[in-house]
Amino acid sequence: MKIGSRLIQFSICHPKFVTTLMVLITLALGSLIVKVHVDTDPENMLPEDEAVRVYHNLVKKEFSLYDVVVLGVVNEKDPDGVFNPTTLGHVQELSEFAKTLQDPNNPEKRVVASEMIAPGDVDTIEQAGPGQVRFQWLMAKAPASREEALQIRDSAMGNPLLNGTLVSEDGKAIAIYIPITTKDFAHQVRNELLKKISNFRGDDQFFITGLPVAEDTFGKEMFVQMAISAPLAMVAIFLLMLLFFRKLSLIISPMIVAMVSVIATMGLLIGTGNTLHIMSSMIPIFLMPIAVVDSIHILSEFFDKYQTIRDRRRTIEHVLDQLFMPMLYTSLTSAAGFASLALTPIPPVQAFGIFVAFGIMLAWLVTIFFTPAYVMLLKEESLANFGVVVQKTGPAKKSWLAAFLARLARFTYQQAKLIIFITVATLLVSLYGIDKIQINDNPVKWFTKNHPIRVADKVLNSHFGGTYEAYLVLEAKEEALSPARTLALLKEKLAALPEAQSRPSLLSQAVQIIDESSKTAADSDQLLNEVENNWLIRQDASADEDFESWSEFLDTLAAVKNSGQIFKNPEMLRYVARLQEDMNRSQVVGKSNSVTDVVKKVHQELFAGNADYYRVPDSVNAVAQCLISFQNSHKPDFLWHFVTPDYTKANIWVQLKNGDNQGMEKVVAEVEKFMSANPPPFAVEHKWAGLTYLNVVWQDKMVTGMLEAFSSSFVVVLVMMVILFRSLLWGLLAMVPLSVTIALIYGIIGFIGKDYDMPVAVLSSLTLGLAIDFAIHFLERTRMVYRKTHSWSAAIKDMFEEPARAISKNVIVIAVGFTPLLAAPLVPYKTVGVFLASIMAASGLATMIILPALITLLQKFLFKNEQRQTI
Amino acid sequence: MMKKTFSVLSLATVFLSAATCVLAAPSVEEIINKANNAAYYAGKDGKALVDMTITDSQGRTRNREFVILRRDDKDGGNQEFYVFFRKPSDVRKTVFLVHKYTDKDDDRWMYLPDLDLVKRIAASDKRTSFMGSHFFYEDVSGRGINEDKHELMEDGDKFYVVKNIPKDPVSVEFSSYRVWIDKKTFLPMKAEYANKADKPYRVVEALAVEDIQGHPTVTKSKVQDFTSGGETVSEFSNITYDLGLDESVFSERYLRKPPKEVYR
Repeated sequence: MKIGSRLIQFSICHPKFVTTLMVLITLALGSLIVKVHVDTDPENMLPEDEAVRVYHNLVKKEFSLYDVVVLGVVNEKDPDGVFNPTTLGHVQELSEFAKTLQDPNNPEKRVVASEMIAPGDVDTIEQAGPGQVRFQWLMAKAPASREEALQIRDSAMGNPLLNGTLVSEDGKAIAIYIPITTKDFAHQVRNELLKKISNFRGDDQFFITGLPVAEDTFGKEMFVQMAISAPLAMVAIFLLMLLFFRKLSLIISPMIVAMVSVIATMGLLIGTGNTLHIMSSMIPIFLMPIAVVDSIHILSEFFDKYQTIRDRRRTIEHVLDQLFMPMLYTSLTSAAGFASLALTPIPPVQAFGIFVAFGIMLAWLVTIFFTPAYVMLLKEESLANFGVVVQKTGPAKKSWLAAFLARLARFTYQQAKLIIFITVATLLVSLYGIDKIQINDNPVKWFTKNHPIRVADKVLNSHFGGTYEAYLVLEAKEEALSPARTLALLKEKLAALPEAQSRPSLLSQAVQIIDESSKTAADSDQLLNEVENNWLIRQDASADEDFESWSEFLDTLAAVKNSGQIFKNPEMLRYVARLQEDMNRSQVVGKSNSVTDVVKKVHQELFAGNADYYRVPDSVNAVAQCLISFQNSHKPDFLWHFVTPDYTKANIWVQLKNGDNQGMEKVVAEVEKFMSANPPPFAVEHKWAGLTYLNVVWQDKMVTGMLEAFSSSFVVVLVMMVILFRSLLWGLLAMVPLSVTIALIYGIIGFIGKDYDMPVAVLSSLTLGLAIDFAIHFLERTRMVYRKTHSWSAAIKDMFEEPARAISKNVIVIAVGFTPLLAAPLVPYKTVGVFLASIMAASGLATMIILPALITLLQKFLFKNEQRQTI
Repeated sequence: MMKKTFSVLSLATVFLSAATCVLAAPSVEEIINKANNAAYYAGKDGKALVDMTITDSQGRTRNREFVILRRDDKDGGNQEFYVFFRKPSDVRKTVFLVHKYTDKDDDRWMYLPDLDLVKRIAASDKRTSFMGSHFFYEDVSGRGINEDKHELMEDGDKFYVVKNIPKDPVSVEFSSYRVWIDKKTFLPMKAEYANKADKPYRVVEALAVEDIQGHPTVTKSKVQDFTSGGETVSEFSNITYDLGLDESVFSERYLRKPPKEVYR
C-alpha cells in the first residue's frame, strides 16, 4: 500500500468522525470572525515605527495638520458661479453642520471645528477705506444680496492663500476643507454630508473627495464586495464543476474544502488579533481557487477511474496513491510562494502571505482527509453512473475537450521546435513589456470611473489647485557658531548701527563688556546671555538719553541670538517662493502655500493693497512686523500651519492635482533637482510628509519587497522541485511554465499600460502558486506514465488523457469562476479577476504545450535515469 | 412645639430676606458699572509693563513684552491706550494706539517701525486676537457695557455672578458669558464664555490682585481657549497710576517718536 492510500485509511474507516471534527474546528475558528476589526488605512501598509510615518505624524502635530475631507460646491449655471446668496447659504449651512459632526459611539472621532477651512472660518486682511486695513471673516454670515455675495468673491479671489484653495479661479466652485481627528471617520462624514445635501434644492452640485474619504469608503465597499464577490465566485465554480462532473453530491466536496479553508483561515487571522486590511480581505478570493484545485484533480481522476474500478473505496485509494505526492508538493510550493511575502517590509502583506500559506496547507489537509471521508459517506449506488458519460461514448466519440487535447498532444510532439521558438520569442517580447511597466498607485483609482468619489475627484481637481496634499518641510540645520565667530559677528553688527556711530563712548562700553564676557564664556549661547545680562544692568543704570541706545544694542544682540530663526529672513522666504514657483511649473502641483505667501499678502495690504508690494520686505524686522500684524486677525494660529513659532521650520503645503504616486514622485524629483541646483541661503534639511507622499514610500517598499519575496520563493520552489524529482533538469523544467506565465502576464501589463499597483504585485505570488501546480502534476504523471510505457511518444498520448483533462478543467473552472469579480465596482477586484483568468489560461497552456515540447526535445537527457531504473 | 419652631423659623426667614434686600441693594447695572470702572478706569491714567506668555496646545511658548499707557476722559467714559512693544526684539517699537469711545467704534492705529508705516486698523470687530495671544482686543480695552444685556445670576458670599447676553449676537462668537465679580473690589475675577451650543469654550481669569496706590489691581491674568487648547498668561509689573499723562501722548504724532514713559 502506498502512502496516499495508507494515510486515508482512518478517514475511510471513520468518515463521520473526521467530518464532525472538521466541522467543529471550522465552527470554532469561524466564530472568531465576529471579532473583526477593519482597517482600511493604507498608512498601515507601513509599520507604525517606520521613520517616514513617525515623521509624518510629527509634522501633522507640529503644524496642526489634520486628515481632510474635501467638500466641493460647484455652480455652473449661475452667472456669478457659486457667489450667489443661495449657494453661499448652502455653503454656510453645510460648514456649520460639518463642525457638529462627531461619532456618537466614539467622541474621539470628530470634525476639528477650529481648523475648518470654509468661507465662514477664514479671515481676510483687506482695505477698509483710505489708509485703513481690516481683518474680517471672509463670510461672517451668508450674504443677503448679490452685492454682498460678489464682495465675498472679490475678497477671496484677491487673497492668494484662498484663491485656488478655498475658491476656484473661475469662481464656479468653493471647497470646504473639513479636518477630522481620524481617517476612519471620513466615510461617516461623507454620509452625513450627503444626507444633509439631499435636502437642498437648486443648481448647486456637491462633490466629496480627498484621500481619507477614498480610503475609508473603499474599506466599507470592500466589505460589501467581500460578501458579494467571493460567494458569487463560489457559485460560478460550483456550476462549472457541475457541468464537468454532472454529480452534485460529489462536487459538493471541493466546495466544502474551499469553505472550510476560507472560514478557518479568516477566523484564525482575526482571532490572532490581525485587522482586516485591504490585503487580507482578498484572502478568500486568493484561497478559493487554490483550495479547489486539489479537489478537482481528485475528482477528475475519480471521475475517470470509477467506472473501471467500480468501487468507491478502491477508486479513492487508487486516486490518492496517484496524486498524493503531486498534491503535497503543489501545496507546499504554493504555500512557500505566499509565505515568502512575509519577507516584504509591509505588515498587511506579511499577514496576507502567511495566512494564505496557512490556508493552502489547511486546504491540503482537508482535501486529503475529508475528501475520502466524504466519498465514503456517499452511497455506492449514488455513484452508479458517475463518469459514465465518458465511458459510454468511448474513444470513438470523445468529448470536445478530449478531442482537442488529443490533437494538442500530436501538435506538441510534432512541432516541438516551433513551440520552443515561439516561446522564446514571446519571452523576449514580454521582457520588453516588463521594461515598460509603470509602477503607480492611487487610492482614488481603486474606484471605477463613474463612482461618485472618482467623479468628485475629477471635477474638483479641474477647479482647484488640487485636493491631494503633501507637505514639504524645510528645517534649519543647527550650526553652532564658535564663540569667536559670534563675537566677531556681534561686534560687526554693533559697529554698523547708526546709534553706535553717533555715540562712540557707549559703543566702547558695550564692546568692553563683550570682551570681558568672552573671557569666561564657554560657548556662544553662554557668551550672548552674559553680554545681555551685563548690558541690561548697564541700561538700567544709564541716563535717560542713553536708555534707547542700549535698547538698540540689545536688539542687535537679539538678532544675532535669533539668527537661527531663518524663516523670518527675507532671503530664505524668497528662496521658498522660488522653490514653490518651480514646483508649480510641474504639471502635477496645482498650487502651494507657504509662510512666504502670508508675508507677501500682509505686506501688500499694509501698503494699500498695491500689487507692487506683493513681495517679501527687505529686513528680518520688517518680515516680523508683517507677521505680527497678521496675528491680529481672528485666526492668528493659521500661521502655524506654515511655520513653527520658533521660525526654524517651515511647511510648504503642496496641493497636487492627482493622487498618482508617479505624480508625487515627479514633484519629489523636481524639488531634489531644484534644491541641488539652487542651494538655499541657509543650511536646511528638507523632508516630505503627507498622505500622498506616504503612499509613494510604501509603494516603493512594496515593489522592492515583492521582487525580493518573489525571487526568494522562486529559488525555494526550484529547490523543492529538484528534491521532488531528484533531478536538476526536471526541477528546472517544472519552473518553465510559471516563468513563461509570469513573464507573459507582466509583459502584457507593461504593454497595455496598466499600472503596477498593489494587487498586480501580489498576483506574482499567486502565479507562482498556481502555475507550479500544473507543472508538478504534469511532470509527476509524465514520469509515472513513462515507467509504464518506456517511450515518450507513447506516454504523451496518455498524458493528454486524464492528466491533461484535469488540468484543463482546473483552468476553465478557475478562470471562468472568477469572472464575477469583473462586475465589482472596485478596481482591485476587477484586476484580480482579469489576471486570475489570464494566469490560469497562460499557465495551463504553458504546461500543456511548452512542457511536452521541451520533453520531446530533451527526452534523451530527461529519461536517462528512468531508463536505467526500468531496464 | 412644632408650630412654634416653625413660626420662629419663618420669622427668621422673613427677617433674613429683608436684610438681604437691604444689603443687596446694587442693581445689576450698578454692579456692571462698578466692575467696569474697577477693571478699566483705576486712576486718571496709568502705566504697566506687561509680560505675556502664549502657550499653545503643544506646550510651545512665545513671549511678548510691552508697556501700556492709559488715560481716561472720565470714569466710564472715553479712553486712550498706547501700547509700545519691547519684545520680541524684531518687533520692538511697534505701537498700538487705541482711542476708545463709549458711543461709537474705536479708532485704532498701528505703527510698524521697520516698514516705517502708520496704519489705521478698522475696528468694526474687536474680537480679533491681540498680537497672536489668546486675549482679544476687547479683553485689553474692555467690552462696551451697553453691548450686552446683563442678568444677575447669583449673589454669593464672595461674588456676584452676572450673565451677559450680546444684543447683536451675529457680531460675536459667543452666545453669552458669565462674569464673577468680587464683591469687595468689584474686580471681575473670572469670565466664562459659552459658544453657540452653550458650552464653555473660553475662560479669562484674574490670578493675582494687588493693591497699588489704593486701587485693587489685577497683576496676573490668564485666558484659556478650550477649542485650541492654548492659553496666555499676562503678568503686570511697574504699575503706576496718576502719572499725569498728557493727552497729546496719545496722538498719531507720538507713534513714530514714543514718549519717554514707555522706556523705563
